[in-house]
This record gives sequence, C-alpha cells and structure tokens, in this order.
Amino acid sequence: MDVTVPPIPPAYDGYRERVRAFVAEHRPDLGWTPRAGMRVPDDEADVEKLRAWVRALYDAGFAVDPPDGRGDEFESRILREELGRAGVPYVLGNPLVAGALRLFGTDEQRRTYLPPIARGDHIWTQLFSEPDAGSDLASLTTRADRDGDHFAVNGQKVWSTWAQFADFGYLLARTEPVAGPAGITAFILDMRTPGVTTRPLREMTGTSDFNEVFLDDVRIPAGNVIGEPGQGWRVATASLATERGGVGLGGTADAVAALVGMARRYRRGGAPAIEDSAVRQDIARFAARSRIQRALGYRVATKAAAGTVDAWDAPLTKIWYSELNLELCEYAMALQGPVGALVEGEPLAHDSGRWQDAFLYARAYTIAGGSNEIMRNLIAERGLGLPREARGS
Amino acid sequence: MNFAFDENQQLLRESTRRFLADRQPLSAVRARLESASTFDRAVWEEGAALGWTAMLVPTEYDGGSVTHQPLVDAVAIAEELGRVLYPGPFLPTNVVADAIAREGTDEQRKRFLAPIARGETVAAWCLTADGTPDLDAVAVTASGAPGGGLTLDGVARFVHDAHVADLLLVAGRTGASVVQVLVPADHAGVETRVLGGIDLTRRLCEVRFAGVTVDPEAVVGDGARTPDAIARSLRVATVLQAAEAVGAADELFARTVEYAKERVQFGRAIGSFQAIKHKLANLLVELEAARAATHDAALALADGADDAEEAVAVAGSYVRDACAHLSGEALQTHGGIGFTWEHDVHLYVRRARSEQLLYGDPAWHRERLCTLVEARVPDGAAGAGAV
Repeated sequence: MDVTVPPIPPAYDGYRERVRAFVAEHRPDLGWTPRAGMRVPDDEADVEKLRAWVRALYDAGFAVDPPDGRGDEFESRILREELGRAGVPYVLGNPLVAGALRLFGTDEQRRTYLPPIARGDHIWTQLFSEPDAGSDLASLTTRADRDGDHFAVNGQKVWSTWAQFADFGYLLARTEPVAGPAGITAFILDMRTPGVTTRPLREMTGTSDFNEVFLDDVRIPAGNVIGEPGQGWRVATASLATERGGVGLGGTADAVAALVGMARRYRRGGAPAIEDSAVRQDIARFAARSRIQRALGYRVATKAAAGTVDAWDAPLTKIWYSELNLELCEYAMALQGPVGALVEGEPLAHDSGRWQDAFLYARAYTIAGGSNEIMRNLIAERGLGLPREARGS
Repeated sequence: MNFAFDENQQLLRESTRRFLADRQPLSAVRARLESASTFDRAVWEEGAALGWTAMLVPTEYDGGSVTHQPLVDAVAIAEELGRVLYPGPFLPTNVVADAIAREGTDEQRKRFLAPIARGETVAAWCLTADGTPDLDAVAVTASGAPGGGLTLDGVARFVHDAHVADLLLVAGRTGASVVQVLVPADHAGVETRVLGGIDLTRRLCEVRFAGVTVDPEAVVGDGARTPDAIARSLRVATVLQAAEAVGAADELFARTVEYAKERVQFGRAIGSFQAIKHKLANLLVELEAARAATHDAALALADGADDAEEAVAVAGSYVRDACAHLSGEALQTHGGIGFTWEHDVHLYVRRARSEQLLYGDPAWHRERLCTLVEARVPDGAAGAGAV
C-alpha cells in the first residue's frame, strides 16, 4: 500500500494563482443561484453566460476533462478544487455520452462531438427513461424504424436533465421488435430535428431540472447510431457504470464540518447541541461515513488502475454516497430544530435554506441512474453471482 | 495512489492463509473449545517463523517487516488470522513488542524483543480493571519499594490471553501519574484467572498483583510520555483488531453467499429471493466499507499522517459495529442450521460481539472522533442564518 493521494507540489502554486485570477475575472454574473446537485438554470440568458464561461475556460487551457483524455493530474485536481469553490457550474448538460463515444463511437463521431462537449459548445441530454420504463429500462418501447438511410423515431422519454436547453440527445430506442435488451440501439439525436418536443417537469424541489421529451416521426440519419444497431444496451450499461462511479466523487467532509457548526449554534435541553452526547455520537457516525466514502473512492480508483474493478464497485459507491447525502440533509434539518422547517426566501432560514433544498433534491441521487434497489440487485446478481430475478410476463 | 496490498504483502497473506489452512483450521480450534485453553504453542512458534511477531520489531532484534509499512504488513496477517478465528495472542504480543521497540531501553529491547520475534515469548497487556482504555480505570498501584524498585498491587481485567503469556506489560498508578512495567507472568504474586467469556475461541483473563516487586529496570519508558505511549498502543490495537474483524467478516460473508446459492426452499435457491439478495448486498456494502476504513487507518498510522488519529477513530467507530452486524445477519440467513452448536457461524458471532467491547467500544471511539472533528472546524462555520 502506498500514500493515499500525493500532495500537490509547491511548483503548482503558480497554476493555482492563474486559475483563481481567471475565475475572478471571468466568472459569469448569473440571475440564478446554483443549488445542490446537477441543477439547471431557469432561463436561456444564464445558459448563454454559462456557455461563454465554459468556452473561456477551455480556450484558456483550463479544461477539467480534456477531449484527448489526457491532462496533468495535479492541474486537474487544482481546477476541480478552485471551480468547485467558485460555486459556478463548469459541466453543462449530461456528459454521459462522452463515455459512450469514447468506448463505442466511430473516429468521425469522436472528432465531431467530443471537443464541442468539452468547450461548452454542445449541451447534451440523455433520452433513456420512459414513463413505463424506469427501473426496468430494458422494457423501453420508443421505436426507431429503418427507412432507407434514416430511422424514424416515435415515443416518449422522461427524466432528461438539461433537455430544454440541449443541442443533442443520447437516445435509446428499439430497432427490432423483440422484448428486452436485444433490440435496443443507441443514437445521437439533434434536438432541433422536427418532431422533437421538450416539456420541462417541475419536481418536488419546485425547480425544473428534468424534462419530458416527445418524439413524433423524428428522422435520424443512420450514421448517428453509436456502436452497432442492437448493441445499445451494452453501450448504455457501460456509460451508466461511469455515471454511478462518478456519483460517489462528491465529497461530504464540508457537510460534516457544517454539522459541527450547527451543533454549536443550535441548542438542545438548554445547552448547545454539541454538548449532548447523543448528538456527538451522531456527528461522529457521519464523520466516519464521510471519511469511509473517501477511502472507498481510493480503493475503487486503485482497482480501476489495476483493471480489477468488481461488478459491485460502482453500485456500492452510489449507494454509499446517496444514502449518506440524504441522511446528512435530514440530520442537518433536525439539528436546526424548528428553523429546519424554513426554506429559501425566508429570512429566518438557516444558510438561505440550502439544506432544505439539498434534502428535497437528495432523492434524485437515491433514484436516478438506477434506484438503490436496482443497485442492490446488481450487487447481488452481477457481483455475488446470486440467481437472476425471474421476469413477470 | 495505491490503496491495495502490494506484492510482498500479498505473498505474506497467501503464505499465512496456506499455513493456517494446514495447521490451524477452525476445526482444530473447535476441538479445544471447551478446554481451558484454545492456544496451540507449536502453531504459534511456526507462525512466528512466518513473521507473525516480527513486523513491529527492528531487524537488529531478529524482527523485520516485508515493506516500509510494518503496520500494514501486520494488518495483512491479522486479516488471515481473523478469517479462521485464530485463538492466539497475535494482537497483544504485537502491541507489547511495538511498545518495547518504541519506548524501551536498549537493555529491554535486547532482552525481550528477539524472543518475542522468534515466538519464544508470548506477551499480554494489562491496562485497566474495567476493560476501557481510560487511564482513570488503571487499578494497579505501583508504589516505591526499597532499592528503587516498584511494588505492584491490584487488578487488571479483560486481558487477552494472559493465561498463556510469558511476559506482562502492566500499567500501574504512581500518585497522579501512570507508569508501565514489564513483569514475568510467572512472578510470585501474579495470579491469572480465565474469565468465562462469550468468545469461545479466545480467552480473556483477570490478572491480580499482590506485592509484586520489580527492579527499576522493569519500567518502560519515561513516565511523562507514558499516556502518549499507551495512546499509541491503543491505536495499534484498534487497527489490528479491525483487521481481524474484517478477515472474520469476509470469511463468514463468503460462506453465507455460498449457502444462499445452495439452500433450496420453495423450489428455488434462497439467494434468488430479494429479501436475501438485498440483505447480502447491504452486508457487502458494510464489509467493503469496513475494509476501506481499516486500510485507511493502517496507512495513516504507518505513514505517520497528520490525521492518523482521526483515521483510527473512524476504524474504531465503524468496523466492529459493521462486522458484528454482519455476523448476526449471516446467522439469520443460515436459518435453523446457524442456530446449532455444530455450525461455525455462532463462533463468528461470539468473536465479533466480544471484540466489539474491548480496547474502547465503538461509542468510545465516536466520542474521540467527534472531539477530533470539532478541533478542526473553526467557530462560525455553521453558515449564515438569522436565528
């Protein structure tokens, strides 16, 4: 075993200063406050400001995820730290397709689509789930019928983040009239194609971060298939695994520190909550889970580098993070006492209601990208080799 | 970044596993469950030849680790010992060796470390009377004796394997401070009683001291440093204990998954039922988290990281709770067969529940962890708010 994370050498101090100066000069003045999670601006004007910001970052050489897949490890870490601190989004849309294109795309597809994703020129959305195909994604019924050198697509998609502002969609549709994964194909869909209608959903948070997308006789060129026709399930599974692995990467150490701050400020039984031994035990439980989240991340990264990742690693990481995140939010509200019932816009709310918003959004993590119940099935069936669940007819 | 055992540690692990499968399978321990001792001295000496007691001992005293992180090497061994519920004093002997290597005089190192490393001397650690790590529970008094020595009177309890030990490291109270003293286990006035314990594979003892007078040369280390030295020993104990717990949980979990695949009810393997699948998935999450916490703590302590104490407190808080929970759910998954004396699962449950209470229970570590986290959060960190 070796050192967990190499410290950033002092030689990189200059780089950090340059990033900070760049952020101070170019950060967009948004009419919208970014909140917890993968959130989407309210209007087009903010989207344009964000595009300009990501483009400026890219053109200045500050690409967090360079399209050639290379990049200096320390520079990348500094960028993520500083951009995270700035509190402004630097990934627009759902970048899941990038993994699919890297693994299954043609050279031409990679050349055409990967650089504009990194530069903020193209915003992507994901067109996977359907009203009747959630956890059972392989039962999707959106059809793509071959018609000469095109496919004609008909159906309805849901839970598509950024779709209302997206340039392209990463679409799964059925090209063969067979049940289950076999007949599914992955496509690149230009969202401006006639027949594509996007309607924002309003979620329990009160915000619109997801959309419904209706597809009526939408024509997609055959050259926009990712991988081979009928290979879509493999393409999607490979890219979803990268999403699940990514979910665990958000740190929770700051949230634990915030719990300590709240426990000092709010009182229980006539004394600061931090003096209550039950509260101290609870905070320590969160501190342990938070540090273990980091250690699990190191462990998976080590296995990835050695090519020894187990089928359970990505779902396990997703379960660990999403449940910890939810419970942290619940506990923060409990520590606040009655103030915990107040939300954004109410002057008496704690920290502008960020914990309440994070609590309401937290179920996105426990459900999206495969619900945690599906994650447990994956661990049991693919990870531990237990018998597959029988399908109902 | 490398968060896995390296090649040499893998080899150490595999040689330990093969040796244990051959010389100390759980069936051999089982045959001694109801006798006075489960310890097999011949196995211990052969294990010492494989390096069990050498990792934390410097090379000039016949010790030596396989990598530059002796504690991680010891963790690799401890996981294998835990897997078969090994009954010997691996943990206390290594803790005492570490204490002598770090705090002892040259004379003490020469006299004690080589025999420990070679497996000739078995050591036990007598700390408190109530089994907690709190120094106000040290209940042996060390009073001045004629000639500058010390006389020990009192009791230490919950001492792992004192009944087979040759050497005792004993914490004693002198006025307001605490000293540690090395005492031969067969010294006149030392009386050891095996406690009736829930863990059938390993013994806990009560050790009484009545007028036990030792030379000044028996004192380990400088008195002012003793609380820090004891804190260090507790950190080592916590990491090794966590590693044993993870090894045991890993073995029990693997057996449970196999059972869920084989056992048929209602015409199906029980592992095809979601009630069992999700239970086992949850246990795997806990097991992997426990393993990550253990390795994180071992690395931090081995590397002398600034946050090593916090990493150890995380392991102490989480690992044994998770492993004890896993043992109970493993038993539940086995159903009736798991409730029988003949089946091994209760031995794992017993070990896990016993270890959970020793060297500071998880609640003790959580209190420590909260204090450490508080210390690095500045005042006013709660975020803006009007109330």
